[in-house]
Amino acid sequence: MLSRSAERLYWLARYIERTENIAKLVSVYMNLLMDLPKGVEMGWQQLVRINGSEQEFYEKHKIPNERNITRFLLADASYPGSLFSSLSAARENIRTSRELLPDEAWEQVNEMYLFTKGNLDTVSNRRSRVLFLKEILKGCQRFTGLLSGYMSHNHPYRFIRLGRNLERADMTSRILDLASLLLADSRSDELRQYETILWMNILTALNALLMYRQHVRSRVKGDDVLNFLLLDTNLPRSVRCCLMEISDCINQLPNPDALPQRLSELENYVQAIDTHQTTQLQLRAILDDLQNKLGALHGQIADNWFLRAAAE
Amino acid sequence: MKSIWENYKTEHAYDELMHSEYQPRPVSYSLCQYLNSLKKTDIDKRKIAAELAIMEMGISFTVYSDEGNIDRAWPFDIIPRIMDAKEWKLIEKGLKQRLTALNCFISDVYSEQAFIKDGKIPSETINSSKNFRKECVGMKPRHNVWANICGTDLVRDKDGIMYVLEDNLRVPSGVSYMLENRVITKRVFPELLQGIDILPIDDYPTQLQDMLSSIAPHQNSKPQIVVLTPGIYNSAYFEHAYLAQQIGAQLVEGGDLVVKDDDCVYMRTIEGLEKVDVIYRRIDDDFLDPEVFRKDSALGVRGLMRAWKAGNVALANAPGAGVADDKVVYAYVPEMIRYYLNEEPILPNVPTYLCSNKEHLDYVLEHLAELVVKPANESGGYGMLVGPHATAKQVEAFRQVIKADPRNYIGQPTLSISTAPTLCKGKLEPRHIDLRPFILQGEHTFVTAGGLTRVALKKGSLVVNSSQGGGSKDTWIINMEGH
Repeated sequence: MLSRSAERLYWLARYIERTENIAKLVSVYMNLLMDLPKGVEMGWQQLVRINGSEQEFYEKHKIPNERNITRFLLADASYPGSLFSSLSAARENIRTSRELLPDEAWEQVNEMYLFTKGNLDTVSNRRSRVLFLKEILKGCQRFTGLLSGYMSHNHPYRFIRLGRNLERADMTSRILDLASLLLADSRSDELRQYETILWMNILTALNALLMYRQHVRSRVKGDDVLNFLLLDTNLPRSVRCCLMEISDCINQLPNPDALPQRLSELENYVQAIDTHQTTQLQLRAILDDLQNKLGALHGQIADNWFLRAAAE
Repeated sequence: MKSIWENYKTEHAYDELMHSEYQPRPVSYSLCQYLNSLKKTDIDKRKIAAELAIMEMGISFTVYSDEGNIDRAWPFDIIPRIMDAKEWKLIEKGLKQRLTALNCFISDVYSEQAFIKDGKIPSETINSSKNFRKECVGMKPRHNVWANICGTDLVRDKDGIMYVLEDNLRVPSGVSYMLENRVITKRVFPELLQGIDILPIDDYPTQLQDMLSSIAPHQNSKPQIVVLTPGIYNSAYFEHAYLAQQIGAQLVEGGDLVVKDDDCVYMRTIEGLEKVDVIYRRIDDDFLDPEVFRKDSALGVRGLMRAWKAGNVALANAPGAGVADDKVVYAYVPEMIRYYLNEEPILPNVPTYLCSNKEHLDYVLEHLAELVVKPANESGGYGMLVGPHATAKQVEAFRQVIKADPRNYIGQPTLSISTAPTLCKGKLEPRHIDLRPFILQGEHTFVTAGGLTRVALKKGSLVVNSSQGGGSKDTWIINMEGH
């Protein structure tokens, strides 16, 4: 397999996962706002904050209201972190890797892209936004499903899994970030009262509510949720599960060199996080640190498989 | 209700489907009957469905413009072009004959040069050809085949005879559109295809793969085949990616390949360097190897010619094969068939006047307003004069261009090329078409059943190139026996 192809498939998977995550995040946030009573202050700006894109947002918009934030996150072609930009980048990567994937994969991404491009204006309106996001989530799932069912689980597939899980781990940590941000921000008793609703929505954002109930078998509590989303070994979107997937791929790919060692260090680090003992501030520092470590892991993967050719 | 055939004029050219306004030819009888059974709105719906399918399948080609490169959807006309299998069998035979002779000629040019020595072609014609590569002299590609993949352009004149317009032996494109056109037709007219005995075309990728395997330098193991593309900004990138996927080959760019000191070609993979046996290259000779050809080429692979000459890698088409893809050399193909194969040509050439010949030049200059004049080495329909469609001023300007460089120009009578019904604003109108079948030659020779029909979508236009307002049609070769 060409190093260049490996890199493109890896990024394809990251961008598709990112597209799905943005869609999920925005739709869950809308839900959360509808659940909370009017008096409870919770702004849309948090969504921009967890992506570290506040500066970029305020260069373009004055007011962080629902309309501006959702347009920025979903439809802004000049903001590289938007859903539309992610999907465009995914399409560009798959367009240049068609020889490695089933036909349907390209058609699926292309259709999604054309749909998004044709519906960018609908995201301002809440009702049409709901439909839009639903369509995107369906499309991403279809893409993942057809690769799993139609594609040989070979090296190209492993690079796709690698990209997907790295992006997923990163997003899970950002969603946890969001939760702690909301709780730390608004210390009013009123929001405290609705903490359970907040955590339930966080679980929903990661498709984990049902699994959480079956697994934890108690009412939804912040510490338990954090613990579950970081450390559960069965939930596909828990950070630990993502790392296990990554580790599995790395060990089956040729010449992983120092990567297995690096990965087990990272897994140990995650397992040592004790959510019951940390304050919200400490937790945010830990999640920040985790995101940096995931960034470093990406660099090591790129050095090992994508850039190696250039050095020869 | 007005008929979609109303005022369908067939008197200016041979129409492939219709004898006259209301009289279909036998091959198109079923199609016409079917079309007449549809309401106008139904036909519009099918057209929209086809356009949607093209968008979703992402069938595109790149157009270069000042505003940057635009990826355009492939213009497709849903009404197929039809030909009787009986006629096609003969054309197929003619195409095989022609490519076999062309390959004999190329081999000869790079070895004995008997064709020149026997006075069949002036040696200046070869020596002055841009596509004659002296670096290739003495090479012996496998099976003595230099042009493995050929796209031959055929047109039918008013007399009903199919002529060969040109042989594309460098990097002919279009076969992916031929294949995709059939896929779209199957989606749009599923009920129609059931009742008609159309020869299938979808074995092309398998044939291509077999041919490429058959030219591998070592026949002992499964050869590593790659498709070499100039990259995403090339107008045919869609096709490169499509073909690579269809034949299960890696799609590589110049930067992915490297030639080591052992004169072997390797590709850069996640497992390190891996040896490459066969390269289906979609890059022109000029850009193939900066060590030998253009020094500034960033698309090619340094040392590729070394590896090829050492016999460590096969290139399809072989470098230098373009020497026979020259509109002056074209004029000599019928003679090649007689000389190398001792046969009479099955497919005729269009009569051609060579401006390098004093008498021919005088004739061309006298009859500029009636002739089509083409440069010897351009493709894509650029740099040519269509006399009857040009203004007096354009004709005079072209006269000077020819005089300055006569070797580089040929003249041909303006053919009244055939038409086929094409959907234009909900009505059928005749539009001019040509046909590009694809021929593969390695250990065996294979011809696609039909080929790519290109159509000039502008009324009266004779230019079918997609870069200049052309579109395409699905091509049906119909087996009429037993019907």
